[in-house]
Amino acid sequence: MATQEKVDVVIVGAGASGSVFAAVLAKAGKKVVVMDNGPDWHTSDLISSDIWGRRVKPAGAPFILEGKHPVSMGAQGGWGVGGAALHYFANFPRLLPNDFRIRSEHNRAHDWPISYEDVAPFYDKVAQEIGVSGDAAAEELWRPKGQRYPMPPMKTFRSGQVWLKGFAANGIRMVPAAVGMNSTEFKGRAACIYDGWCHVGCPIGALANPLVTYLADARKAGAEVRAWSTVTRVLTDTSGGKVTGVEYYDRNHEKQFQPANVVVLAAWAAQNPRLLLNSATDKHDKGLANRNGLVGKFIMTHFASGTNAMFDEDVENHMGTLGAQFMSYERYGKTAHKGAFGSTFIVAGSSTKLSGLGGIANARPDLFGAELQAFVKRAVKNLSRMNAFGEEQPKIENRLELASEKDEFGMPLGRIIHSYDDNDTALWNANFEEGLKIAKATDAKEVWQGRAVQPTIHLMGGTIMGTGAANSVVDSFGQTHEIANLYCAGPGTFATAGASNPTYTIFALSLRGAEHLAKNWSTVAG
Amino acid sequence: MDAMERRVFLKRAGMGMLAFTVGGADVLMTPGAARAQGLPFRLLKAHEAETIEALGETLVPGAQRSGVAHFIDQQVSVSPGEALLEARQLNVKPPFINFYRAAIAAVDKAAEARSGRRFAALAAADQHAFVDAMRQNKIDGWQGPAGSFVYLVLRSDSIDVVYGTMEGYEALGVPYMPHIAPDRRW
Repeated sequence: MATQEKVDVVIVGAGASGSVFAAVLAKAGKKVVVMDNGPDWHTSDLISSDIWGRRVKPAGAPFILEGKHPVSMGAQGGWGVGGAALHYFANFPRLLPNDFRIRSEHNRAHDWPISYEDVAPFYDKVAQEIGVSGDAAAEELWRPKGQRYPMPPMKTFRSGQVWLKGFAANGIRMVPAAVGMNSTEFKGRAACIYDGWCHVGCPIGALANPLVTYLADARKAGAEVRAWSTVTRVLTDTSGGKVTGVEYYDRNHEKQFQPANVVVLAAWAAQNPRLLLNSATDKHDKGLANRNGLVGKFIMTHFASGTNAMFDEDVENHMGTLGAQFMSYERYGKTAHKGAFGSTFIVAGSSTKLSGLGGIANARPDLFGAELQAFVKRAVKNLSRMNAFGEEQPKIENRLELASEKDEFGMPLGRIIHSYDDNDTALWNANFEEGLKIAKATDAKEVWQGRAVQPTIHLMGGTIMGTGAANSVVDSFGQTHEIANLYCAGPGTFATAGASNPTYTIFALSLRGAEHLAKNWSTVAG
Repeated sequence: MDAMERRVFLKRAGMGMLAFTVGGADVLMTPGAARAQGLPFRLLKAHEAETIEALGETLVPGAQRSGVAHFIDQQVSVSPGEALLEARQLNVKPPFINFYRAAIAAVDKAAEARSGRRFAALAAADQHAFVDAMRQNKIDGWQGPAGSFVYLVLRSDSIDVVYGTMEGYEALGVPYMPHIAPDRRW
């Protein structure tokens, strides 16, 4: 195993969380290497095609997916520099104050070790740094006051506007969606041209993916991004008290050692615990940061209740943005739906392309042959969809563990077991019932829903944060309770899932963690 | 990929072109053109390609002419990281050819058990009835990946070749709206 030159910090994963840590630490003068197991994507690789867009997703990710509701690794995950944030929709809702204290207020799930007020300044800072379009004042119907967004809301289209009547009739106030996209030119990045291809990656930099935001800043400040580098273990010193770097395989499958003073795992909620478990030593026989057995536990996802509707008018669904034009926290209260606990986040108005899992042809997955042909012909003009995202409650049985099967590097595959419980399904169904009422109060001529399989969207948990080693893996900055110079970043640290799309919170928590690390460098890095 | 390679690659990608083998050399063309020229398959056997074409055409009219079998054949012959198949998003374990072989075998075996003939040899109405039963996992004695999953994957592949390209959008009169038009950027 060859040894590379020692650096201050090695960051495993070049997605949303890793890019923030890289930017902050490189700007603080640290020598930073960011490793990623896939290609070094450039914005010019992001072509406007649902088919070609699949290249930025994993092919045969090293996980065995089990449980009643297996996680959607292939569709949700990322592969290569930029990570899943290369194909995210850039919906930027935030968690709300009630997300941080579910245990205190409802005697369920977990409290976070921090409050909304601890994260809010970082939501504001991220918005100013990478650009958010929206109407913060309008959102303050549901959340404490904060800074205004740096850009006005995005344009809306008929695909979103047609729903407003239905929401109003059901007492649901909708506001302009907060999105990580440019409604105007922002810091030299182009304004959005509303072509609706957000989900396959934005090549003009109008959408705030890592390549054009924090990773670009990190590179400018001297960080090295090392693509095609697959980390398999975090190594520790003989006492087991400190990490010393990572073992990885380069593009030629040669084993390398990258020494570092600090290791930040930012490889998403599935790979972070897999790495910790695979780094067991005689001093850490259950894996690093896992004396309490909580590494890999509390894997969480979101479930969407989508309502489709066919209108008489041309709703221009080929254009706009893919995430949302309008959003609402009106059902975000944990007990908003009788008999189903958990928050719901509501969105409406998105571009819908022809192919792909969320495409027009899949809006009626039961149709084929001539019937499908006829449906597609109508739907390309008249179809629109609204969605209600539900919060899964954390369950210790939903977990990642190491399997006996191994990947090409000899590393055990991760087995992810994930199932919803009756409460989660009750919330999913309650949102369908409400979606139906909303759609029926619009001018839609046909309304339908697909309830066959409860979907698993986003991925959170596995290395959750808490007040100490008795209840969690990391603290609120991502520092592991067990080893001071080992950090976890990303949605894996969420103590509960909320119902909001996670990436804005990933950016905010990572910024908070990275700034804290930079300020306390000498204590942490020793 | 260097800048020149990237530009050429992306231009062709935008037009739905893939690398097919003609006389031992890689030539970029659409799957439909590969079929029209009768290019040999890389991995699929003739009867497997025949089943895919028949299944594709039943699922999405036009899939056969659009080259669904050539599309899948080319895609299963490249490394999983390069593959553009929906199977990738649906957590099918590479090599993807294994899934397609198992799916085709399941379809033909079930068709023979029901009607004494392979799927491609069934009348159109029988093919339709077969697919309708398959998508609902209602075929007795089915052996292989779940019928509903075979339906989902092959239907997605057929949608890709018929509707997912710039040509497909044009046929429906839907503006494709690439971020930046290929001829200007690439």
